[in-house]
Amino acid sequence: MSTILIEKEEPVIEAEETEMELSPWLAELRDEVAAHPGVNHLLLSRLRTGRYTKGDYRVFGLQHYPMVGTFTRYMELLLLRAPSSEQKLWLAKVLVDEYGEGSDGEDHASLYLKYLYSMGVEPGEEESTPLCTAVWEFIGNHLRICREEPFLVGLGALGPGHEWAIPKMFHKIIPGLERAGMSYDDRLYFDLHTEQDIDHANWMSEALEQLGQDDEARAQVRRGALLSLGARFRFWTGIERCVVARRQPHSVDAVRRGLLGRRRPDREESPGNRQELFQAIQDNWSGKDWPVRLPSDSELLEVSQ
Amino acid sequence: MRILLVQPAPFECGRIGLENALWMSEPGALTAIAACVEDEHEVRIIDMRLEEADVLPRVLASFKPDLVGVTCMTTDAYQAQAVLHCAKSILGEQVFTLLGGHHPTLVPGEHDYEYIDAICIGEGEDTFTELVAHLAGGGDPNDLHAIDGLAFRSGDAQIQTSKRSQARELDTFPAPARHLLDAYKGQYFFASAINMAAIQTSRGCAFDCNFCAIWEFYEKKVRFLSSKAIADRMEECEEPFIFFLDDNFLTRPKRLEELCDEIERRNIKKYWMIQGRTDFVVENPELMKRMRDCGLMMVLSGFETNDAGTLESLKKDNTRENNLKAAKLLNDLSIITTGIFMAHPDFEAQDFEDLYAAINEMKITIPLVVIHMPLPGTQSWRENKDSLLTEDARFFDLLHAVVPTKLPRREFYERYAAWNESTEASIDSSLSMRFMARRPRLMMAMRPGMKLFGERREVLRKALNDPENYLRDEDEIIGELPIAAQRASESVARETEGVTV
Repeated sequence: MSTILIEKEEPVIEAEETEMELSPWLAELRDEVAAHPGVNHLLLSRLRTGRYTKGDYRVFGLQHYPMVGTFTRYMELLLLRAPSSEQKLWLAKVLVDEYGEGSDGEDHASLYLKYLYSMGVEPGEEESTPLCTAVWEFIGNHLRICREEPFLVGLGALGPGHEWAIPKMFHKIIPGLERAGMSYDDRLYFDLHTEQDIDHANWMSEALEQLGQDDEARAQVRRGALLSLGARFRFWTGIERCVVARRQPHSVDAVRRGLLGRRRPDREESPGNRQELFQAIQDNWSGKDWPVRLPSDSELLEVSQ
Repeated sequence: MRILLVQPAPFECGRIGLENALWMSEPGALTAIAACVEDEHEVRIIDMRLEEADVLPRVLASFKPDLVGVTCMTTDAYQAQAVLHCAKSILGEQVFTLLGGHHPTLVPGEHDYEYIDAICIGEGEDTFTELVAHLAGGGDPNDLHAIDGLAFRSGDAQIQTSKRSQARELDTFPAPARHLLDAYKGQYFFASAINMAAIQTSRGCAFDCNFCAIWEFYEKKVRFLSSKAIADRMEECEEPFIFFLDDNFLTRPKRLEELCDEIERRNIKKYWMIQGRTDFVVENPELMKRMRDCGLMMVLSGFETNDAGTLESLKKDNTRENNLKAAKLLNDLSIITTGIFMAHPDFEAQDFEDLYAAINEMKITIPLVVIHMPLPGTQSWRENKDSLLTEDARFFDLLHAVVPTKLPRREFYERYAAWNESTEASIDSSLSMRFMARRPRLMMAMRPGMKLFGERREVLRKALNDPENYLRDEDEIIGELPIAAQRASESVARETEGVTV
């Protein structure tokens, strides 16, 4: 056998995770979340292996930013519906952290803005940029889940659906951000969520261990997680289309018309910007219908079937 | 073992390119290696060019393959890596990930990542078969030293095992497992020829053009499938159209005469498309006519240029006169010509005009103008490495200038992007009423695909005709200085900084 030495590429080292030990049903759910297409969307692997630029991450960030300010709203909605003080306390712990405690006075929205501005976003642009339908869908779905579904479904969406999913997804995003030239400080929002959310995940796991005492309760938690991840999958698809459309605007029409060999055409144009989105959230709080048609539960669940 | 083979998408979902608007053929490399192991193992193929993005993680999670294999050229290298990264992300260390194809064969060092367990160097059938047997037999996935034709990480370095011999007669390989593509039946196409099968009847090329890596991949050897085997495979195809994937089908007239004998004897009624050189067309007019009568409908040729000097510098070993004569002969025979021409980075305004005028004069049915570039693994690449403005694999798609242009880049792309409009006359004069009247059955066969291709062509043209598309792609990636010069200047800066400190 001949041996040829080839220059070595340094692998990107992923952070160690230290999650608490789980009971079998939760461990199974955690594995299901880890393997879900929403957590393993090809966009995330593409960000990891491809050569995306700050301009691409700028598009990505402007679409992703509205999610930052809405997680606390989902939590607040769920907190109202928590059936006991103990459960309220678990949720409140996460909520306080999400409000910005432990981030040296900088809440998540400020950290995210720092990321956006480091990529050349002009102040105000984050409010006026049209958001793709997938962003509106994602947020509308979660508002609905937290308001209308049983409490444990909501907990499944925000716990396993978010806290277990986010560190895994962000681990894939960070090497691409590094490669595009972003410093640790500029991308702190992402790094923080690979560290901090492990704590959140552990708090959530503790709560779920106690609440998931029977099959029905466990099924509700699982359903919530899968609904959230189904929406997450559609969200990443929408973001990818936005990134592609920046460089090749003509592709938008081709995809809408289903000309490129794929089966599902894109949804219509943007329902509105972040300001309009937050107005819709307020209106929704007051009882108005969500202005964008939401995918059905079966559409969200079929992603993982 | 459960084995999943994946054809990656050429680029991100939703992007328009030649691969999804003009020409998409079956993943022949995957069906070829699948056939070697499918009797003993469960094999699936997914074609991500035709699937929604959720399909890959869904199949990975439900099928739980023990091995995921991906093939790639240069432009889809990162997409192939993303597939394998996704597989490791979902299945962890329990899945073995394998990468093969032209790009990893020619530059394996560019694929040395922790989520790629091994790279198949060169022709895949035997290497894949041995690797699968090793893994299925409980062999150590980290000890692959005994299998020829692999590159993998061992300790701190990537190593290559002994070279795999590429001398096996093509008839001794099993026929490709095309049935694994049943889910995609009817979706492969070339222009209006939808519902297209693909067969490879030879491997390698006897010529050594300096911009092409085919002869390097196959070490300048050419092997052929027998006429009988080709005809057998043609008969097995249900599709009305067949694309012969050979890089140079038009070689050895005797073999092609024998193929025509088989087609006539068996009364095979298929329309087929090939890639071949213009000198062969000129030297074998009667054979071209006979092949036309046996179903040949399209010849894709690298015309490359309109001037003799450039043909020589490309080591094409062909002449401008042959190009002109071949174009006329094919038109006279009512065989569609797809002609590939190169715009060179050192083109000035008049060079573009001259090239477009020459194409119109030749009456090429489907002219394609690409940008000359040193493709990884070619002689041209080795000679021009220091001039490269980028090493980003996506830009080696023949649609971007990866070395400095003589014209300002904006003007270069403006003139380049005009090729579609500027060669319209060529298409119009080639696809004359006479041409179509002589092949009414072919026109009828293509009719179902005409509307769809018309729409695809429209969106492709919009993308290709817009110079901003190319410039947007370059944004933040391609600078004014070649990569080598940038590195040298960074190195000097570091040294200077060191001295100062």
